[in-house]
Amino acid sequence: MNLLNLLNLLNLLNLLNLLNLPVVYSVPMRRIFLLSALVSGAVTVGFAQTAALKVEPLWPKPFPVAKHWILGSVTGVTVDAQDHIWVVHRGVDSLQNNEKGPTLEPWASQCCFSAPQILEFDPAGTLVASWDVGANKGYDWPHDPSGIAVDKAGNVYVGGGLAPSALPAGRGRGPAPEGAAAAAPARGARGGDAPAAGRGDAAAAQGRGRGAAPAPPPPPATAVLKFDKTGKFVSAISGVERPLAVAVDDAANELYVGDDGHGRIAVFDTATGAQKREWKANGDAFKTIACVKVGKDGMVYVCDRGNNRIQVFSKDGKFQKEAKVAADTKGDGSVWDLAWSPDRKTLYVADGHNKKVWTLDAASLQTTGSIGQGGRYPGEFYGVSAVAVDSKGNLYTGETYEGKRVQKFVKR
Amino acid sequence: MKRNVLIGSGFIALIAALAIGQTVVEKRAEAQAKNTVQAPRFEVDPMWPKPLPNHWLYGNVIGVGVDSRDHIFIIHRGEGNLNPKEIYHTANPPAADCCDVAPPVLEFDAEGNLVKAWGGPAKNGEKYDWPGSNHGITPDSKGNLWIGGNGPDDGHILVFTRDGKFVKQFGFPYASAGSNDMWAFNKVAKISLDEQANEAYVADGYGNHRVAVIDMDSGKIKRYWGAYANKPDDTNLGRYNPQAPPAQQFRNPVHCAVPSNDGLVYVCDRPNDRIQVFSKDGKFQKEVFVEKNTLGDGAVWDIAFSKDPQQTYFYLADGANEKIHIFDRKSMTELTSFGDGGRYPGAFYAVHSIATDSKGNIYTTETYEGKRLQKFVYKGLGPVTKKDQGVVWPTKTSTH
Repeated sequence: MNLLNLLNLLNLLNLLNLLNLPVVYSVPMRRIFLLSALVSGAVTVGFAQTAALKVEPLWPKPFPVAKHWILGSVTGVTVDAQDHIWVVHRGVDSLQNNEKGPTLEPWASQCCFSAPQILEFDPAGTLVASWDVGANKGYDWPHDPSGIAVDKAGNVYVGGGLAPSALPAGRGRGPAPEGAAAAAPARGARGGDAPAAGRGDAAAAQGRGRGAAPAPPPPPATAVLKFDKTGKFVSAISGVERPLAVAVDDAANELYVGDDGHGRIAVFDTATGAQKREWKANGDAFKTIACVKVGKDGMVYVCDRGNNRIQVFSKDGKFQKEAKVAADTKGDGSVWDLAWSPDRKTLYVADGHNKKVWTLDAASLQTTGSIGQGGRYPGEFYGVSAVAVDSKGNLYTGETYEGKRVQKFVKR
Repeated sequence: MKRNVLIGSGFIALIAALAIGQTVVEKRAEAQAKNTVQAPRFEVDPMWPKPLPNHWLYGNVIGVGVDSRDHIFIIHRGEGNLNPKEIYHTANPPAADCCDVAPPVLEFDAEGNLVKAWGGPAKNGEKYDWPGSNHGITPDSKGNLWIGGNGPDDGHILVFTRDGKFVKQFGFPYASAGSNDMWAFNKVAKISLDEQANEAYVADGYGNHRVAVIDMDSGKIKRYWGAYANKPDDTNLGRYNPQAPPAQQFRNPVHCAVPSNDGLVYVCDRPNDRIQVFSKDGKFQKEVFVEKNTLGDGAVWDIAFSKDPQQTYFYLADGANEKIHIFDRKSMTELTSFGDGGRYPGAFYAVHSIATDSKGNIYTTETYEGKRLQKFVYKGLGPVTKKDQGVVWPTKTSTH
């Protein structure tokens, strides 16, 4: 950290104090500063709040209790032209056995089923639509859908990391038949209420539930799926491998795909699915293309997650500039998704590793602050993987891993 | 003048009509009250407790208790069941500034402020065995806390002051002489207190199949019993089968053993999906099954009584079906339930422990990937309109 950064930091702190903003945690503040400064040169602004955004803890509305729906790991959130919020999540395969009792064989408990994997909410958090996508529907629904985009006509595009899983048909995918519990003498999944295990066990427990032999991973997904606004399958846009990220340029009728397996951005005609152009990273190859976004400035922004950087290109693929975010981040990397404020002044960057949403000056791409911290309460994050902003400036986030939530932060 | 009279009589007629209407409304309400069941109502406080300092996280939160000052104590498992991705700051070198593991015991005031955090293996010459996997926390009226443990070698109970100073230890680790041992326990789930009698009721537990009653001063086992007051037996019962005749022994874990004001003891026989009720001297009284088809972890995890002197109701935490069942204690009938699966305020992932404060508010903790302490504010009695209320959010949508 150089002296200039330190001065900026102190200035920002003074500014925050002047504005009487909630700078929480007086005791650990010094440590937070030191660490943040070391990692990124930025300031942690405290819990769940900035000058402009406040978490809405009661959003979205609970699903109907009789459904016993819960979200799996959330891997895509976007806002459409009507300010409706679209969510894609990994569904039942991302739930642990001890939270999907009714899907087990034998039936083990009332709760819970996976909610349908594509969900549409209105700004008040009311569920507007839920699509029963999945296996055996005439398309290769990916094992781990990743990324979601909606075009002006309401068509929905979904990427994916891996192809459909090789799980036996029916396993964990639907309600138990009537009387299944009565017919079943065997005990269901023994939960993890066993005594504290070692670190390695805890990591293993993050997977598909305990005890099951690990299945070989499915092959990579090779297409982006397109649905119409009613949820009817339209087409598979293929020629890609692990298409983790999708974006639409409505003016040009073009689909941008973060084609992670090929380390490139690929651009397709949304109507025909024909590839129009492609390009690779500037400098070091992309290391997990976690997002691709088309800005109103006419530029294409790429989340190069593992390299902790944003790379900016013109729509024809000419490199413009790049910026690091939390540059020293190891592990999963820092740049998972991004979205702009309506006034285009602020760029929000979801950082599932550091468990916060960074705010950047949209023009300079310099980090100015952050929202949130690690945890399971409203306004906190575990694996924040997606970020989107509506026309009023409200912010929406999605969490993967065991976060498994969509949260709303209201613009004040 | 005439006009005034007309207006006046109209006014009187209106008042009369209102009065009649009011009477009708009251009568209707009375009739409804007679015909409808009343039960305590609750609303989650979504912003309680306040955020922890130091980027602290809980592991599985497997105990909660409220003391005489309405301070809330929790105990959690810490690092062992947090994913390395959650606690990057514990890596060497730290892999991010978030997060760290909170000390195992945390104390909050009623407003949700963190008051104190402590716990862990003995140091500075103290002589006690911190459990391999601490489990259950119960405050007594002297300001001490009673803690069990269900790690592989945990055969003991620990008592600390609420500030974390070691007081005493009953039993010892490395003991598993079975459910008829008079010297130690086997993986204690929870300790509940009958301070008038100076006795503690031990849910014993994850290894043994009994309720053990000990003297609070000496720790000496005074009496113990198994299901139906049978002599406890550690024979493996195999898996629970809802179609089979009820098991004559408790299954592991025996998860709570809570004495009531009127001389009864309520035992959570968790994987058997039942509550068994005994007199304090261990005579079997009755049992009731809860969500009897539940497999896996079972439905009966923990019990707390309502705060009225009669303890009219009890609240049962069901971490498999993800709800709190509200029972009428006398009739042992379920009146309603609230909660559902999920990670939002008022939803649960493996709701494990439950306690009430002097105002009747409920506190719950979650294990597995729930890993939270939540507060449900008591809103008085009200008519039961739904068997499953689902998530009970505040009626005002914005609380802050």
